[in-house]
Amino acid sequence: MRTARNQDKIVCQMGRRERDLFLELLALYPRGPTAQRKLSKNSVLPDAEAAQRMLEDALAEQRDQNRQLLQELMLDLARFKVQPTGLKLVLSQADTEWLLQVLNDIRIGSWVLLGSPEDPHTLEGLTEETVPNIWAMEMSGYFEMNLLRALTGD
Amino acid sequence: MAETVTPDLLPAAAPVEEQQDKPESDLEPGFLVICWNDPVNLMDYVTHVFQVVFGWPKKKAEFHMLQVHEQGKSVLARESMEKAEHYVHQLQKYHLHATMERDE
Repeated sequence: MRTARNQDKIVCQMGRRERDLFLELLALYPRGPTAQRKLSKNSVLPDAEAAQRMLEDALAEQRDQNRQLLQELMLDLARFKVQPTGLKLVLSQADTEWLLQVLNDIRIGSWVLLGSPEDPHTLEGLTEETVPNIWAMEMSGYFEMNLLRALTGD
Repeated sequence: MAETVTPDLLPAAAPVEEQQDKPESDLEPGFLVICWNDPVNLMDYVTHVFQVVFGWPKKKAEFHMLQVHEQGKSVLARESMEKAEHYVHQLQKYHLHATMERDE
């Protein structure tokens, strides 16, 4: 994957193989169960139940919005050009931030499906069931790093 | 952790009268926004999220990312309940393991 900045846009070029992997990966969104995250770990908050529900609603709503935005992106030929030789993706900074969140959702969801292992890089648990999750986790990490590099210019 | 816990809100040299004039809410214990370590979020990603959510320069974001990585957690901010809640929502939308805790 090659990335370049063109004024305020980020242009990502992928070869055919990378394009297929990228599309396969995005098709996995949303990945895993809705995260059950706590607003607080140790404190009793005022109106804790309502506050917790608000967090869960916000995260669920974000997933719904992301799912819709992802469909829109894939149909937007100006931004998402599938070519015979690969894929050209033209993203605004906001698009890129959003795509990072989507990719990280896939990464975290895959990790959760693996049982949230302390060392996700261990190969001990390599089975037919775990391979797709390890693949999704590593591939999303790969694309995340490329987008981050494009954003930060590092 | 000291860097963020020791806030600019109450400088040691601030005159007593100034503190008494502050609204009561400023003197009440606030809420700490804490980010906890996890083995899956990429270090560069965490740094980037801190920059976006808090508007921090890269150096400060990296400092807190390393604190999370090496010490298991980092206190990112001390805020009112509403603001702390806002930050936790933002960080969790990026899938960081963040919570708010009473500053007691």
